[in-house]
Amino acid sequence: MNAKMATSVDVSLEALAENQIQEISLDGHEIYVQPISMSESLTKLAQRIDFTKMEEEGKELKSVAANETEEGDDEAKSAFKQETWPWDSVHTKLRHSLTEASVLLDVLNIAKEKRYMLLDPIQQEPPESRMFTQVLGKKKALNNAAQILQHGSERLRKSDNLYHSSAPAFQMELLNVRRNWRLKKVANSILGDLSYKSAGSRFRQNGTFEVLENKEMEEGAGGHDTTPGSAGQQHAGRRSSLHVAIPSHLQGASYIYVSIQKDTDSLASANLTIPSHPTDPLAGETHWQKKLEAAQNVLFCKELFSQLAREAVQLKPPIPHMVIGNQITATLFPGIQLFIGLCHSNDQDRSTEPQQQQQQQQRQKSEHNHILEHSLHQLLREMHTANISLPMPHPSTAMLGASKRRRLAGPHAFSRASLLQLIEGKSLLEQIIEQAQHTVLRIRSTNVLDSIAMQCRDPQIVIHWNALSDATHAAMKLNITSQGYETICRTSLAIHIHTTSVRVIYRDGRIVKLSHEPHELTNVLLGVVSVHNISALQSLSKLMSWQILSTCMNLGVGEVEALGNASAVVMASPSGERVLAIKSGPISGVRVYVQGLPGNTSSDASTLETR
Amino acid sequence: MAESLSSVLPILPAKEYYLQGSIHDAAKDILLHRLRGLCDCTESEPESFHDHEMVYVIRGVGIGGVQQMPITVRASQSLEHPEEPWHLRYVGNPEASGTGVDRSKSAMVRTCIDVGTSDDLIIFLQELGFRLDFEYVTKGYMFRKGRMKVTVSKVFRVVQPGKTDSIEPMSLSCLVELSLTAPAGQDAVADDMKTFAEQLKPLVQLEKIDTRRLQSI
Repeated sequence: MNAKMATSVDVSLEALAENQIQEISLDGHEIYVQPISMSESLTKLAQRIDFTKMEEEGKELKSVAANETEEGDDEAKSAFKQETWPWDSVHTKLRHSLTEASVLLDVLNIAKEKRYMLLDPIQQEPPESRMFTQVLGKKKALNNAAQILQHGSERLRKSDNLYHSSAPAFQMELLNVRRNWRLKKVANSILGDLSYKSAGSRFRQNGTFEVLENKEMEEGAGGHDTTPGSAGQQHAGRRSSLHVAIPSHLQGASYIYVSIQKDTDSLASANLTIPSHPTDPLAGETHWQKKLEAAQNVLFCKELFSQLAREAVQLKPPIPHMVIGNQITATLFPGIQLFIGLCHSNDQDRSTEPQQQQQQQQRQKSEHNHILEHSLHQLLREMHTANISLPMPHPSTAMLGASKRRRLAGPHAFSRASLLQLIEGKSLLEQIIEQAQHTVLRIRSTNVLDSIAMQCRDPQIVIHWNALSDATHAAMKLNITSQGYETICRTSLAIHIHTTSVRVIYRDGRIVKLSHEPHELTNVLLGVVSVHNISALQSLSKLMSWQILSTCMNLGVGEVEALGNASAVVMASPSGERVLAIKSGPISGVRVYVQGLPGNTSSDASTLETR
Repeated sequence: MAESLSSVLPILPAKEYYLQGSIHDAAKDILLHRLRGLCDCTESEPESFHDHEMVYVIRGVGIGGVQQMPITVRASQSLEHPEEPWHLRYVGNPEASGTGVDRSKSAMVRTCIDVGTSDDLIIFLQELGFRLDFEYVTKGYMFRKGRMKVTVSKVFRVVQPGKTDSIEPMSLSCLVELSLTAPAGQDAVADDMKTFAEQLKPLVQLEKIDTRRLQSI
């Protein structure tokens, strides 16, 4: 360019050859920003154009023009326009979009050919960078992040301290509660359920309790225990950060009082709503585990008692059961009654001191029967289990909630009798009465047997109780032996004790059925003992080579026994010089008559009497 | 004592309230786990079942040769427990109040009649004029929650008619059904079912399905 100047001094204007310096490297070398090319500057400029704006403006111009032209024949078109008015805007918009779409299609088509048009990406200008603000921003952001981290670590350290230090946190306690009890969150409160509904109970009384945070106690002392099982034991005296609110009807302690009484005098005192044991001095501060257990026990006892009371009213025995206040009275045998009472000690029931003493006396008279109480609990739990453990139906479409036998009833055409048998089930009260009757009968029989075994020295009576027994059936084996000759003669009996009857089975298979009266068993045993005496003599006589002349198990002569029959044996000595007649009666005992030979001088029989 | 539950239930439940849904095989175990936690008898293993169900249909001809509505009954038998009685079941069409039309009801309702029968049921049905419409085999698990029954079952197509050992699965999912039989008018139970269905929500959507719409698709 400069080569052209020859004659005159040309002043040339040109762009500064130096470009903007981008960077100066350490060795002083300058790196320039490359100038933008022609096409680049074009694209940059093109980018600035707002095409949509242009469109809008053009449209406005157009519409203005259109309005002017249309005004002339406005009257003619007005009717038509008004009809189409609601759809007009939609129509125009659709038309515009169609136009734009067609234009776009055209542009795309042209661009695809690559002969007339090329599409190039536009390079965006890099945003202006200001080092200082960037550094400031980064610093601030880092500061914020550091703060969050520090805050978090602080909280972690605090909770860690809490965990290791003494104060048992509410959450930890809550977790422990949750392990053993059903909890749910309702609005802002945490409610728990004590009831046995999930275990099959149908008792309606609700057992809802509420879990609360103990606000007073922030800085507690003492070690923290996380094992829920032993928590109740170890925390009994300490204060916990958690507090359970139990409804008033479930507070206190409760148990079912079962006793069997002989006389009917005590019938009058029937109110048992009295504290049964000294109440806890720490009633307000007992650990939640103990509190909940006690409350659940109260609920269980209440359910048990209400079930029993309902059954007592429904059942129609010959001697009706009585339900008075908190006590059920049932007659087991004439003169012997079963008392079942619900004892519930509550903090509010402080004013019942005289009754308490009355009950103490009553209890001294007849001890509370723990075994029967236990079996009552067991019976109710069995009922619960039976409620929920019905077999599932097969095929799966069959109806739910019928036992297997009931399902078979239709297809197998059960008779009415067997159907009735199906629905027949013993109620709790009936079962506990049976168990109580059995208990009474067993104790009575034991007393009878023991007294006979003590009285009767000569044939020894040995009683073996069967180790296996159940709540309504016990069995024993009775051996009667003569002292010194145990192996020679032994009489064995099996005695089965049921609920209202006793069965005595002899060795030869005879069965004697006895009622609940104890003297019947005495009579039978005395008879057996007297027969044993005679049979022992018989076996001895063989051993001593005495000759048995006659024997009679049921003697028809002589004095009439008050009870049963006497039996007798007549035997002669080996030499034949003496004859013995021995009579053994259940009541009269053993009598021995000795007779010399008829030829002998002294012919009158002498009598020896033994018992 | 075992009868106490059935004594609470009426002798002839007339209506079946039900909700249906389906779950993919891969997620089935999670659902079973969840159901074990929610339902009764959690200590025991879930009860499995393997049933064969046959649907019989009779097309009666009324007076003047007018074609009557066909009547279908379902005869089912447990393949796992052959000693259990056969089961004959009639289920009606879903009532209008129970289908998707009526939003106020929480579950679908249909009439149902259940009866346990002896094992010669098929011969009896054939003698009556019933013809086999289709048959299928279901395998799965069932749960109980109070009076509700929950079944998670896989439906199999019977390849050779009458042979229940040659079967192939219909789909890759399981049918989940929540049902309850109760006398008519006990609509409160439907709400209980709805609450229970809500608890299974992310896993399976138990809802009312308008079967008439399914048929038209």
